[in-house]
Amino acid sequence: MTNWTLFAPELFMLAAAGLFFALSLARPQPARDFAAAMVVAAIGLSLTVWAVGAEGVLFAGTYRVDLFSQVFKVLISAGFFLVICLCGDLSGVADKRHSEFYLLLAVCTLALMLLTSCVHLLAIYLALELSSYSLYILVCLRRGREKGLESGLKYFIIGACASALMLFGFALLYGTGMSLHLADLARELPGRLHEPVVLIGFVLGLSGFLFKIAAFPFHFWAPEVYEAAPHQAGAYIATVSKAGGIAVLLRITAAAGAGGDQLVGFLMVVSVASMTLGNLAAIAQQDLKRLLAFSSVAHAGYVMVAILSFNAMGLSSGVFYAMSLLVMKLTCFMIVIQVSAGGNNIRINDLAGLHRQAPVLAAALMLALFSLAGIPPTIGFTAKLLVFTAAAENGYLWLVIVAMANVVISLYYYLRVLKAAYFLEPEDSASPVRVPAPMNFLALVLIFFTVAAGIYPQPFIAAARALTHALIG
Amino acid sequence: MIVPYTHVILLAALLFWAGMICTVLRRNLIMLLLGLEIMLNAAAVAFVGAGLHLQQIEGQAVALFILAVAAAEVSVGLALIVCIYRQTGTLDPECIESDACELE
Repeated sequence: MTNWTLFAPELFMLAAAGLFFALSLARPQPARDFAAAMVVAAIGLSLTVWAVGAEGVLFAGTYRVDLFSQVFKVLISAGFFLVICLCGDLSGVADKRHSEFYLLLAVCTLALMLLTSCVHLLAIYLALELSSYSLYILVCLRRGREKGLESGLKYFIIGACASALMLFGFALLYGTGMSLHLADLARELPGRLHEPVVLIGFVLGLSGFLFKIAAFPFHFWAPEVYEAAPHQAGAYIATVSKAGGIAVLLRITAAAGAGGDQLVGFLMVVSVASMTLGNLAAIAQQDLKRLLAFSSVAHAGYVMVAILSFNAMGLSSGVFYAMSLLVMKLTCFMIVIQVSAGGNNIRINDLAGLHRQAPVLAAALMLALFSLAGIPPTIGFTAKLLVFTAAAENGYLWLVIVAMANVVISLYYYLRVLKAAYFLEPEDSASPVRVPAPMNFLALVLIFFTVAAGIYPQPFIAAARALTHALIG
Repeated sequence: MIVPYTHVILLAALLFWAGMICTVLRRNLIMLLLGLEIMLNAAAVAFVGAGLHLQQIEGQAVALFILAVAAAEVSVGLALIVCIYRQTGTLDPECIESDACELE
């Protein structure tokens, strides 16, 4: 007998998708669609918070509801709610497409929530594809921009290649591990990681998730997609979709036990390549969203450092990092959305004079950038500290040194953005930035969270440990 | 099972390579999509072979799911390609990227 209450948040999101589908058939009314989306996202968030304590197994053992999945569902729906909050000015998307935009966001949120709970390779594949397909279309919804379609196509091709590789890897794992359930694979495979077939299966199987978090060698889509997508869709891809990717990556690596030398070596190459490439490329960027894209490639590298520790400490630091990324990237995209007039892209120098026109936003930007760079007392500092400690305790000292060097490189371009916001004088022709009161409030909340979790991170660290405990069991 | 499992895996790997080469080298979006399909079906072959090898029904069930997902993937991909063709009048990915070969 299936206990459907365990599945309530997902069912609600499915119903929400149905609602937006119905709205997309009616006459387009952006204000109505936005109100509906706000209500739906708020209810969805409270449902996931209500369901945090739930535990159980559904659908013949393929779907596991535990603390890990439930907390990640809260993160995902909180991210969904915040992205919807930013949709008040959805001028990057044609009016008649607003309900479709929300429909695709809801479907993608549903898919990511499913993804955090799946413990069966086929279910993981289906959930991952469902979320990717919604994002492929979301990227193309940008109004009046031919480049949107082209980068959507690039996103689609790289994504489809990555998921085909992943599927082939799953087939190899199935053939050697004799089951599609992660729990069975976790019993069978860790001892056999030195066998070439198992190793290739794992490496190929990880490619789908590397694509999701924009890690090397599947990072090519990130700058183009961030640049061409509507700002809100970009924010969603940078935060929520990434949290879902990290969640499933943690689940899969927990199944690999202690990890073999070769697997760790492969992940190290991925990690070092992602952060170095991301940071070096970000230095040259002028478009703020492209800069954020390359910085998220670099952050995928730091996440890999957490994952390749292959122990409880590494996994819990990965959880914490996912949480901090959600806050930091969302703040950055909020500033992009508020500063850009009419949904256009902004260059770094367009931030000039922000500290006088919108002091709260400028402060939020400063804290988010410090946090991305890992300067105390912010959430990003704590996250990096946890990740690097986990790696250093495993003896990967040189990896930590490379990562630290990368942090220093990244400081350069984060400070460049900050300089534009604080020290450049705006040109006279530039229209002043007007910030609605709710946005100022949201910025204050994000500032509070960034600093509070930096100064007093113990409850969050304890939560991350509890999650990891639920994951490893 | 008459055919050894390793042979099935080899066949699947060959198919997968064929699909990948098609995706990477062909300068036509439709052929590129076909390459992706071949890669997915290679994975399906590997799943069916593994299912036969292990005497489990799950492998074949996965193959059925792959068929459905592949259909969805083609529909998204083709929709994108149709939109791009309407805008640019070409199916050559390099032309689309660089606007080098505009139609007269």
